[in-house]
Amino acid sequence: MPRAVRGLLIECDPSIKAMILKYDEERHDYIVEDLDDENHLVIKESQLQSLKARLDQDLDEKIMQLDDSESE
Amino acid sequence: MNSIDASEHYELGATELSPSLLTVIIDTNPHAWAALEDSLPLAKAVANILVFINAHLACNYANEVAVVASHSQKAAWLYPVHNDATSQESSDRDGDVSMNGDGGAASQTNKYRPFRMVEEQVTRKLKELMDSTHSADLRGNTSMLAGALTLALSNINRRTIAWAEEHGGASLDDAAAEGTGATGTGPSRYSASDEDERLQSRILIVSVSGSSNSAHQYIPVMNSIFACQRLHIPIDVCKLSGDAVFLQQACDATKGVYMALSEPRGLLQYLMMAFLPDQRSRRHLVLPTRIDVDFRAACFCHRRVVDIGYVCSICLSIFCEPPPGNECLTCGTPLDVGNYGSRPALIQRKKKKKKRANGASAVGTPMSRGTPTPGP
Amino acid sequence: MAAPTSRSLEYLEGLPGTTFFKLYQQPSTALAIFRRMLPDLAKCFVMALLYLKDPLPTQDLELWVKTESKKQRDNALSILGRLHILSTTLTGENARAYMVTNPFASSLRQALMGSEDSQSFGVFSQAPGESLISIADLDEYARGRWESVLGYMVGTSALSGQRDVNLSKGVKQLLQAGHLVEIRDRRVDITKDGFGFVLQDVNTQVWHILILYVESAEAIGMDSVEVLSFLFLLSSLELGQSYEKEQLSSVQLRTLADLADFGIIYQETPEATRFYPTRLATTLTSDSSALSSTVGSSLTGASAHPGASGSGFIIIETNYRLYAYTSSPLQISLISLFTTLKYRFPNLVTGKITRQSVRRAIDMGITADQIISYLYSHAHTQLRKRDASLSTSNTTSIPPSVLPPTVTDQIRLWQLERDRLRATAGFLFKDFTSLQEYQAPCQYAAEIGVLVWKSDRKRMFFVTRHEQVAAFLRSKK
Repeated sequence: MPRAVRGLLIECDPSIKAMILKYDEERHDYIVEDLDDENHLVIKESQLQSLKARLDQDLDEKIMQLDDSESE
Repeated sequence: MNSIDASEHYELGATELSPSLLTVIIDTNPHAWAALEDSLPLAKAVANILVFINAHLACNYANEVAVVASHSQKAAWLYPVHNDATSQESSDRDGDVSMNGDGGAASQTNKYRPFRMVEEQVTRKLKELMDSTHSADLRGNTSMLAGALTLALSNINRRTIAWAEEHGGASLDDAAAEGTGATGTGPSRYSASDEDERLQSRILIVSVSGSSNSAHQYIPVMNSIFACQRLHIPIDVCKLSGDAVFLQQACDATKGVYMALSEPRGLLQYLMMAFLPDQRSRRHLVLPTRIDVDFRAACFCHRRVVDIGYVCSICLSIFCEPPPGNECLTCGTPLDVGNYGSRPALIQRKKKKKKRANGASAVGTPMSRGTPTPGP
Repeated sequence: MAAPTSRSLEYLEGLPGTTFFKLYQQPSTALAIFRRMLPDLAKCFVMALLYLKDPLPTQDLELWVKTESKKQRDNALSILGRLHILSTTLTGENARAYMVTNPFASSLRQALMGSEDSQSFGVFSQAPGESLISIADLDEYARGRWESVLGYMVGTSALSGQRDVNLSKGVKQLLQAGHLVEIRDRRVDITKDGFGFVLQDVNTQVWHILILYVESAEAIGMDSVEVLSFLFLLSSLELGQSYEKEQLSSVQLRTLADLADFGIIYQETPEATRFYPTRLATTLTSDSSALSSTVGSSLTGASAHPGASGSGFIIIETNYRLYAYTSSPLQISLISLFTTLKYRFPNLVTGKITRQSVRRAIDMGITADQIISYLYSHAHTQLRKRDASLSTSNTTSIPPSVLPPTVTDQIRLWQLERDRLRATAGFLFKDFTSLQEYQAPCQYAAEIGVLVWKSDRKRMFFVTRHEQVAAFLRSKK
């Protein structure tokens, strides 16, 4: 019997997917369905904002910032 | 990495669709319409065509329309009318013509105004045209198709350039610039790459007269057709009566729609279904075209439509009989006609392909001793 | 730039069927929806079916469309169905057939042929005398009003003190209700949505506001259908003509007064007996391209004075420097949203697009595409000319671009640094028992253009709308 589940399809790089999977391990409150390929998964609609905020925060910490001052 | 990039947004602005300009050429030859009186009187046909024009205008805010009458002795503009004494119109950027001469009808606005303006002007001009027709003009039973086509083409050219100038954008400026400069190398002006970005023009001919009467216009009509072919302007033909040798060729050459209506009463439905889609939609639709196109040509000497004739080996002019003095009427080359009167020798089968390549020209030159040489 | 249609289309789709029934009573509404909301192919279908006596069998329609254009066909049919324009019936031979539904068909026919005095297209003012308003004046008025609305939104955050105070309370409330601005401690703050809004082209903005207006009208007890059909009526009026107010209902009069605040219509005084639609109203049903050259130019302020040609005033170089020939405070503050401004002269500001400035804009909720499309639509004629000359000289497959590709690419890349995932809302179909059971609905979803992702191995697929697929599944049983 087929079912339809509401959610957000997330398309991203494998690295980002790995991070999302890691967050989900904590409380299992993000993922609806892990789609078993490198760059897709379905998450809960309500969680997008918090997920994005968390990702941005982590990425800001982890990615090396190029130094571009606004001077000429 | 980077499966998410924004590359699909690259065609920025390419999704904006340019409007189309529809030019309707109505054959108003009174003889032919009189013959149709029972099934489809002219007034009713015009009413149908006007609804069709409205439908075209309804499709896009910026769509434009032009109507030309191909009358028995002349071709005349029905819409838009320039240099009209009663009103000082100027086509503005949307192509609507501002008219001030219609004060009386202004109160009944139960109609979308652009529709009403077209209708009023077309009916008024048509009436003027009919009133000014004298019985003397009717002798010919012809229709000035060549003139009408030329008017339509010049209008299309003008609007295309004007539109391109207004909308400045990519690779359209040059179309206009090249038009004035002497460098115009034909096709590149309207190259296929910017097809979607320029004004989409097409011509619809509503034809009632037989073309055997208009064979004397063969050369100008064919020239117009080739011009359309070059500019990628499809010519659609809606044939209500009579036969149309050249019009079939026009549709075939320009990839337009050809329909001969067996039931003229259903004109509106035919128009709406087959002729309304513009070039963009046509890519998705299966359109009625003709397979058995009549490729006959008219001779240059007497303007007769011929099946088999004589072709000048130098300039390819077509003659129904050997030209007087065996000199080509067009280029003056003395021709060696040889076995005049004998049918061309038909070679079985093999020739088929060649025949097609020759296209419009008649089957073959009578030859006896190889190619005729130009005179001493 | 399909945005303008999609926003209003989404709203319309959400309406119940009975609303459509009422809306389609008006020829002007039928015409406006036909012109504005439908894709090309859907227009062909409607027109072909409009004057047919009998419904057209589905098979015939399928034959009419080339097989390789199946996707476009299904998309067109799907939109027509969602807008309640096309319905299927059974013919005498029990075959499924399409027909145009009735209030829509008769109204559209009326619009095309003109019949009965429904006054669907407004009534001209007959009152003699009084100096008529010229089109230039109307444009100037519309531009002024619209800029003051935008200025109210932007000026607050970027350019304080430069605020236009003559905005009516209704306008401010509407902007607030639409979450375009927020009021905190009596201070007006623009929201993320608001930033996106101000960078859009004018046509999109007007539609956005109008939809907001219709939504809020419902809340204060106005009949949304009446308001909506009045808007469509306005869109079919003619620029430079004045129209009678006598025939209008009280709801319509109220709408009229509110729209005057936005510059969508003009009336000399609120008590005047006539009103003029401005270009903002009359181009509602046009594509954005038709509008950009006219209203766009009059709204940028740069070319408000004669001499300047076209709407463009921004020059951007491959080294990310930006020169904007404008003195309009609104445009300057818009540019400052994503540019680090450097110098300001009487008619020129210069600046540089940097990683930080773009990041700042993105943090405010502006997308790279919005920045690029803003730059594109305001690009100086010099940029366009250069582009034209380049595209003739080399005819390679590289698509011509007005803006330097390095800059546009870099703006996108800067956005991507932050935006590492793409989310699509929708529904996941799963738990199919057999491959066959999975394949049919999956293929169907692809045909109607809602399929986003599928996995044959896991027998799952993801769609953006589930109604039709669910109906398809039910019909299979």
